[in-house]
This record gives sequence, structure tokens and C-alpha cells, in this order.
Amino acid sequence: MTISTGGALTTLNKGVRAVPSLSQGIGLTIFLALIGSSGRVVVPVAIQIAIDHGLQRATSGNSQDVDVALVIKLCIGAAIYLVIAGVAQRTAVSRLGQRSESALYELRVQLFQHIHLLSLEDHNDEQRGSLVSRVTSDVETLSQFFSWGGLAYLLNGALMIIVSGVMLAYDWLLALVVIFISAPLVYVLRRVQSRLVAAYDASRLANSQVLGSTAELITGGETLHAYSAGQIFGERVKQSAKSRGDAQTKATLIGALLFPSGEIFGAFSVSAVVFIGLWRGAESGLSAGALVGFIFLTYRFLEPIAELTEVLDQTQTAVSGMRRILGILAIPVGPPAPQYPISIDKGPLDIRVENLSFSYRPRDGESESDQHNVLHGLTCTIPFGTQVAVVGETGSGKTTLGRLLARFSDPSVGGISIGGVPINRIANEQLRKILVVVPQEPFLFSDTVAANLRFALPAATDQDLINAFSHVDLQDWFEALPNGLETVVGQRGAQLSAGERQLIALVRASLINPDILILDEATSSVDASTEVRLTRALDKISQGRTTISIAHRLSTAVRADRVLVLDSGVLVQDGSHQELVTRPGIYAAMFKSWEASHHTSE
Amino acid sequence: MHGHPTSSGRFRRATTLIRSLVAYHPVLFTVSMVGAAVFAVCTVASSWLLRWIIDEVIVRRFDDDEFSLSQTLTAVALLMGLSLIRACGVIVRRSFAGRAQWRTAQSLTDGVVDVLVQQPPQWQREQSTGDLITRAGVDVDASVAVMAPLPYASSVILMMVIAAYGLISNDIALGIAATAVFPLLIALNVLYQRRVDRWFDIAQGELGSLSAAVHESFEGVTVVKAFGAENRETERLAVIASRVQSARIEAIKLRSLFEAALDFVPNLTNICLIIGGAFRVRSGDLTVGELASFIYMFTLLVFPLRLIGYALSEMPRSQAGFGRIQQLRQSPIVADPRKMSHHAGQSLVISSLSIGHDIDHPLTHNFSASFAPSSFNAIVGYTGCGKSTLLQTIAGTIPPLQGSILIPDSSICLVFQEPFLFGTSVRDNMCMGLNFSDIDLSWALKVAEADFVFQLPQGIDTLIGERGVGLSGGQRQRIALARAIVRRPRVLLLDDTTSALDPNTEISVLNNIRTELSDTIVIAVASRPSLIGMAETVMFFDVDEIHGPTSHVELLIQSDQYRLLMQAYEKPESASDDQVEGVQG
Repeated sequence: MTISTGGALTTLNKGVRAVPSLSQGIGLTIFLALIGSSGRVVVPVAIQIAIDHGLQRATSGNSQDVDVALVIKLCIGAAIYLVIAGVAQRTAVSRLGQRSESALYELRVQLFQHIHLLSLEDHNDEQRGSLVSRVTSDVETLSQFFSWGGLAYLLNGALMIIVSGVMLAYDWLLALVVIFISAPLVYVLRRVQSRLVAAYDASRLANSQVLGSTAELITGGETLHAYSAGQIFGERVKQSAKSRGDAQTKATLIGALLFPSGEIFGAFSVSAVVFIGLWRGAESGLSAGALVGFIFLTYRFLEPIAELTEVLDQTQTAVSGMRRILGILAIPVGPPAPQYPISIDKGPLDIRVENLSFSYRPRDGESESDQHNVLHGLTCTIPFGTQVAVVGETGSGKTTLGRLLARFSDPSVGGISIGGVPINRIANEQLRKILVVVPQEPFLFSDTVAANLRFALPAATDQDLINAFSHVDLQDWFEALPNGLETVVGQRGAQLSAGERQLIALVRASLINPDILILDEATSSVDASTEVRLTRALDKISQGRTTISIAHRLSTAVRADRVLVLDSGVLVQDGSHQELVTRPGIYAAMFKSWEASHHTSE
Repeated sequence: MHGHPTSSGRFRRATTLIRSLVAYHPVLFTVSMVGAAVFAVCTVASSWLLRWIIDEVIVRRFDDDEFSLSQTLTAVALLMGLSLIRACGVIVRRSFAGRAQWRTAQSLTDGVVDVLVQQPPQWQREQSTGDLITRAGVDVDASVAVMAPLPYASSVILMMVIAAYGLISNDIALGIAATAVFPLLIALNVLYQRRVDRWFDIAQGELGSLSAAVHESFEGVTVVKAFGAENRETERLAVIASRVQSARIEAIKLRSLFEAALDFVPNLTNICLIIGGAFRVRSGDLTVGELASFIYMFTLLVFPLRLIGYALSEMPRSQAGFGRIQQLRQSPIVADPRKMSHHAGQSLVISSLSIGHDIDHPLTHNFSASFAPSSFNAIVGYTGCGKSTLLQTIAGTIPPLQGSILIPDSSICLVFQEPFLFGTSVRDNMCMGLNFSDIDLSWALKVAEADFVFQLPQGIDTLIGERGVGLSGGQRQRIALARAIVRRPRVLLLDDTTSALDPNTEISVLNNIRTELSDTIVIAVASRPSLIGMAETVMFFDVDEIHGPTSHVELLIQSDQYRLLMQAYEKPESASDDQVEGVQG
């Protein structure tokens, strides 16, 4: 228990250090909360004073002696105090909420920035979901915590301090009795709550299973119909809906025990107060009013206990959310920005690759194409204006070479220089003007064609964009777009075919007018007419710059000035297509089998 | 309430909703209501008990200065006993209300599932997937949300009636004054819930767009990095995050105001009751115990009143959700096109067929074709010409607009280009509810060149998808192929199913299918020349007519367009051939 509390405190400290505004002005907020909570004991205290001093003679049977004036004075005072307490409480709640929301906004922005700067290795498909949930649901757990749990700590903590203070002031013995009897309630509530949390988790899991299987029933509808399996999978959904019902029924049963346990402890405490109070009588300095007031205070004392134990689990959730967020912030960002950047002059920029080696950090569940992508001691020089094709089997390291050339990652050993300047000494802003990458599956944002193109160059005018299409011979294709530049591309560009997405990506890259273009070819097939356009656009775009194609199709190699053949991360062949195809070796073999598969006649 | 037409309409709609929901599990709901009634009666009784204890036990003890053990024990026993009964009432009320709520949710989900299972794909295509998922998930939850607080709300109303009677019969003036605060508090609560919920809804909506934008931004991280746009993207996301923040802050401001008001109003009422009580005690109309119980009673009702506000504010959401589910369940079942196809003969015969989704704009018009038994056929054409639609029409996923298709028998399998795999084991994905032996399954996987399955951690029983291993596009295609192959269908339709495979694997798969499923009519949409080369006949979708099925060579002669297309496919090779010859020469 102490260990976990210590861990929680450490996490909290680190969190405050990451977002200092989280703790700003917290002292004043606590002070206001104390005043606000003291409003809750005004009524019991007023009743006690009214009974003992204003109404006391009525209790002795003489109703004419009731001191109405005193009661009125007392009540006016109480009402004024209630107003002050109300304002204080309002201010405290509002301050806590606003401060925490602003701090969480800062935390989010910090996370966006950090995650964008992480290297591509930390951005693989398996990781993406968790990165997204760090900035969404984990920050949300913190927000939930501050607006409910944190608030409960603030108000109920303050209330418990004040109520127990007032109770001790009335009668220390009765106060101790109440505290002593209520103590086990904390234990009982914790037990019930931890089972309740487990039951809620189970029902949430069951619910996500229902939602998941229903979604499958809908998205997989065609497949289910094609295989006449709708009924069977429908039954599965119903089965999971039944398990969800069972889990939720169990959770509500446990939840139903929670409130009455507070009730029963309340009855114990009040019974004890009544019994001991009556037994001791007036000799102990107790009055009828004090005893009645004490009964009311006892109910007030038990309320926050229930609420406080309830937020303990929320606290744990928030702490583990915070821990996960801090974990992301602790990952070092991708290739670090150069401390003393060297500016390169525009001009013919040769690329020099020297003794390049790379190995990925091992990770579970890597996708097929990423496994064993290791480069060993690769050295070569690419003069400006060369059209290079890098070929090799899946896993030969060609994709990794592309990533290193683009400085999406830094090599483990060796280095790359452009125009004589080591790539890690070039400021990122400049590097991205010199060198542009067109990735394998070009990503388009769910927006218009224009917006996707402007992603490269926000300042581009509509005319610039239209010109860019004609520069790469795509005018006819552009004119066929239903809404021209305003054509919406859909999620991930789904309204366009894979080939068309590549066309847009090429135009986007051409807007930058880079000296070096790195093309990671798509593996998926493209229909013939788009293929023709792509080839034409590529020819156009390659003119007057260095292009390095990570080639999956050997037709690209055929067209290139120079072919680099990789095998298991080693550069095994280097030459033109004509040279390599006649020389016995990997390339000639690859070309032969590829050629066979691309002929219609056997 | 009845004088106002809109509010009476609202009241009627609310009762209709409640009646429909309760009708699913009336017994559970009734038991819960009984528990609620016990709770209500005991709560009121506890305030009477408190009055008796104050007046008859406490005040007498301090006045007479005499300790009566029997009376004290009676007081304590009554306090504990009443609490115990009240606690039982709570347990019964809450557990049965929860049971009624979630069993109703289950019944609603079952109803939605029945609709989804019965409707054919063309119905689903007309619906938005997101909308259907929402109806099956969020709307079910929303519909039943009003059920849980309902027994509680009823018991609070019962308490209020008894308490109002008790308060008023005790002291008319004070009773009316205290009772008048109840509606005020309910109104304040409803107002609070509605207004604060609006901001929470806005925040929730903004959070949704934030999470979509974040997902997109992280997914496109390569592009973000390629153009050095990290800072720009952070700024863009920060703008959305700040909208979440400001909606939340508005909600918090409102909440802090209302919370303070909801604390203040009953406290102030209590203070007023003390003043009023002082006058009544002086005039001898009220005892001190009665006054204290008065205040206790009032305090007891304050918290439950807040939940009434909650229940009432749930009502519109529940109504909307339930309405949408009913609409889904009452939609007429569309006829299954598969029941319209005819089975006869050995060949697959298409006669005067028009296909497409719209009778006014058919993709192909009035064409006939025949595919011989055991033949391997390719379909070639430009994107969007209707190749996939033809396969789906043959498979019975889409009804033909006109004409008919004669199929040897009903064993027909269609494999989609982007196959759908379920988040379960490879085995379940292949069996789809049928039983196949391990031998058959391994055979099918081998034919589909999906041997990688045997290397997975649990082999064929490995879970795939979100909770299991991730598969590449090519791997998914091969499992989907194996799913069709294991059924040894008479007709196998491949909708560019091998597009994500490398050329060598593609050829092996197609060769395997040809030799292992020698009795099957295979019709494959081809986007690569290798498949065309293997096919016995090719069918070409030209701009305005359909050629074939006939041989590849015949088509080259028949259609200029086909020849052009083939040249486009082979262009890189012809260039390379020249070069190779050049080098050799």
C-alpha cells in the first residue's frame, strides 16, 4: 500500500514537473474549499444553538419563553455565512476545473509535439493506437479525475476536517466514538468497491465484445452473406450480449450493496451516539441541542467517506494514465535536431553513403516487411542528377536505406552526407526543402485535393497547384476530377484509387522542387491507364534532380541510370540494368523470374 | 401539467417510452418498484422515528435527568431495525432495476442483430455503416439509460407525497413552505442537467474530432516528416484541443454555479424553517422534536431530488435512441437475391443480363455469356466498368437489374479484393460456422500458398485482428482464398484477390487452384497480365460493349481497346526486351 502510494506521489510529482501550471494557485483553491465546505455544518450548528439557547425553555414546557429574537439573529448570521461559503465553494470548484483543464491542454500540446518528433520506429502500426489513446483517453482520465475525483478530495476532505473539528469541539468522547465506529466502513467500502471495479471492468470488456462483434456483423456483412454465416455470427453476438447482461447484472448487484453499507454504519454510529449521549446525560456537559446537533453531524461525517473511497479507484486510473503519458514523454525524440546546423548551398548535391549499418530495436509483433531489416557496411556515392533504383527481396534492407537517406532514422554506424555536409548537421527545415520522400502508401488527409497539396507548401496559390499538375503531364487527369482542386479525397484518400493517390503524392512532392527525391514504390498493382500516367509523371519529375527509387517493380530498374542490388542488408551489385542483367547474379535471376510472370503468353 | 399542449405531449411520449421498455421485463421492474416503495416508506418512517427519539427520549432524558435503559434500547433497536429494512429495500430496488435495465438492453441488441442478419448486403449498402454501429451500440445504451433511475425517482415522488402529507399535517404553514421548495429544486436540477449537458456534449463532440484528427496526423506521420510539418501539425491539433478545453471550462463554470446553488437553496430553506419553527414552538403548535424531524426529513429529500433531475434529463436521449432502434427494427426485410438464381446444367450461363445499382444507369446492358465447366476465365477492363459488380451479381450479393443467371448448383464462392477477416481464429475464419477437418483446412491453406499460418504462434488457432496477430494485405488475401478453397465450390469468383501478392506467389496460387480444383469454374478479375496468360478465356469490358469470353489471342484481334490495354501492361517489358536484345546483339 505504502509502495503504491509512494509510486503515485512520485508520478504526481513528475506530472507537476512536466506541467507546472497544474499546481499553480492550489493553496488559495484549498483555502476557498475549506470555507465553502464549512457551509455544510452551518445548519446543524444553528439547530443546536437554536434548541439550547432560543428554544430551551420550550423544552421545559413553557412555550412562551422562546427567544424568537435570538433565533432570528442567529439565522440571519447563518444565512450570511451560507452566502459567503457558497461563493467560496463556487470559486474553488471553478478555479480547480479551469486550472486543470488549461494544464491538461498544455499537456496535450506537449504530447502532440513530442509524438510528431518521435522517430518512425516508434510510429509503427501496432503503436499507433496506443499513441492516439495517450493524447485522447489517457488525458481524459486525468480530466475526469480533476473534475470529479480531485473535486471530491478537495470538498470532502475539507468537509471531513471541519465536521470532525466541530464534533470534537462539541464532545470529544462522542466524536471519538463516531470516528472509531466509522473506521471499519472505510475497509468495507474498499472491499466492495474493488469488487465493483472488477465487475465494471468485466462488463466493459463484455460490452466492447458486443460492440466489436456487432461491428463485424455490419462491416463483414457481404462476407457473411456470401458464406451464409449470418445466423451463426448473429448468434455469437447474442451470446456476447447475454454475457454483457450477466456481467452488468453482477456489477449492479455489487453496486447495490455499496450505498446500504454506508447506511448501516450510519445507523450504528447514530445508535452509539444516542446510547452514550443518553447514558452520560447532562453531567458530562452535554445538552439536548448538542446531542441532536451531533446526530446531524454524524450523518454529515459519513457522507464524504463514501464519496472519498469511491474516488480512490479513479485516482488509481488517473495515476496510471499519467504514468503512461510520462512514459511517452520519456521516449527520446527521433533523429535529434543538429545543435550547430551547417547550411548547404543550393547546387549540384552529391550523396555520399559511408559504411552505413543499421539495426532496429527489437520489438514484439513486427510486421512481415520490417523483420531483419538490417544494413551492413553500405558505401556508395550518388552523383547529382542520377536516377537510382534500389532493388532486393522483401527484407533486403531497401526500405531502411530509403528511411536513412531521408533521415527518418539515424544509422547505427556510418553516415550519409549531402553536398559534403553530414545529414545530421543539416537543419530539418532545410533538409525538407532539399530532399522529399514519397512514401510507399502515400498518405492523404481526409480533405480536398488542394488541401493535400498545400500540405507541402501552405503558401501555394491555386494557380501554382494547377501548374504543378501540368508540369508532370497530369493536366488531363486533373481536368477529369469532379470538382477540380476542391475534389474531396475521402478518408486516407479512399475516394481515389491507389494509383491516383500516388499521382497526388507525386504532384505534392514536386511542389517543393527538391534536389533529391526518394520514391518508395507501392507494392500493390495499379490499373493500366493510371500506370501509364504514373510512369510519365515520374519521368517528368525526375528531370534535373537525383531520384532514388526503392523499387518493387523491376520495370523501374530497367529505366534507371544505375541499379543498387541489396541482399540481406549488403550491397551486392551496383551498375546499370544492361550490365547487371547479363552478369550472372541475383539481379539477373530476379529479372528472369519477374519477366516470366509479366508475360501473357506462356 | 395537462393544460400545456407541448408538456402534455412530452409527458405522453415519456410514458409511452417507459411502457415499451418495461414491457420487455415487467417482473424484474415490478420487484424493483416494490423495493423502491419499501425504501420510501422506511425513509419517511425514519424521520418520524427521529422525532419520537428527540421528543420522547432525548429531551425527556435531559429535562428529567433520568436514564431509562429500556427506552434507550428501544430507540437504538428501532433505529437499527429501520435502517436494516431500508437497506434491504435499497438492495432490492437497485439490483432489480439494474437487472431490468441490462436485460432490456440485451433484448434490444438481439432485435437489432436479427435485423442485421436478415437483411441482404444491398440493404446494408444503402445504410451508413457508422450509423448502424451507432444504433446497435450507443442507441441501445441510451434507450435503457432512463430505466435505472426510474424506480428511484418513483420512490422519491412517493416519499415526497408522504412527507408533504406528514409535513403539512404536522404544521400547515411550515409544511407548505417546505414542500414548495421541492418543485423549485427539481426545476433547478433539470435546468442544470440540460444546460451543463449541452457543454458536455459539445466537449464530447470536439473530443471525437480531436481523436479523429490525432489519429490521422499520426497515421500520416511519414508525410508530416517528409515535409517537415511537425510544428504545423501540432498547431492544428492544438486548435481542436483548445475547443475541447473551452467547452469543458464552460461546463465547469456552469457546474460550479449550480452546485453552489443546489447546496445553498436547501440550506437557506433549513435556516428559514428554524425561524418559522421558533414561532410555531413559541405558539405551542410544534415540539422541538417535530421541528428537528421536519428539518431532517427535508434534508433527506434534497439529495434524491438531484437524481430526479438526472432521470428527467436522460429522457430525451432515451427517447431518441429507442426511436432509432424501433425504426431499424421496423424497416422491411429486403429479398435475398440468392433466392432468385436458378440452378441447372454444368455451365454457368448468363442470359440478357443488366447489372448495376441503378436501373436507369446500368453498368452493363443486356449481355449474355457462358462459362464452360472446369474452365479458368479472366475478366479484364478499366476501373469502374462493372467487373466486380458482375462477380457480385453472380454470387447473389447484388440482385440483377434484368436477365438471369443459371448456375450449376448453389456452391459458389466469391473472394473480395479487400477480404474481410473476423477477429477470431484462422480456423473460425475458414470454417465460418461449418465443420472442416484439419486435413481439409491444411490442404486449402497450402493451395492458397498460406503456409505462413502454420508458423503463427498457435498455428491455425491463432487469433487474428485487434486482439491477435496483425496480417499483411497479402496474408489476408490468402486466408480469404483458403476460406473459399476449402469449400471446393463449383464456381469460384476471384475479385482481384491476388493483387497484394508478389507475382511469383500469385502464379503459384492460381496454378494450385487450377490443378487442385479441377472441376471448378473459376472467374477472376485480372489486373495483371500473368493471370490473363493463364486463363483459357478472357472477357473484356470495353467502354460500351463486352467482348468474349473468348481466347486472349482472339480478343487481341477483335478489340483495339484490348490491344491498347495489353500494350500498356507490357510496355516496360517490351522496352526491356529491346534492350536485352540490344546487349546480346
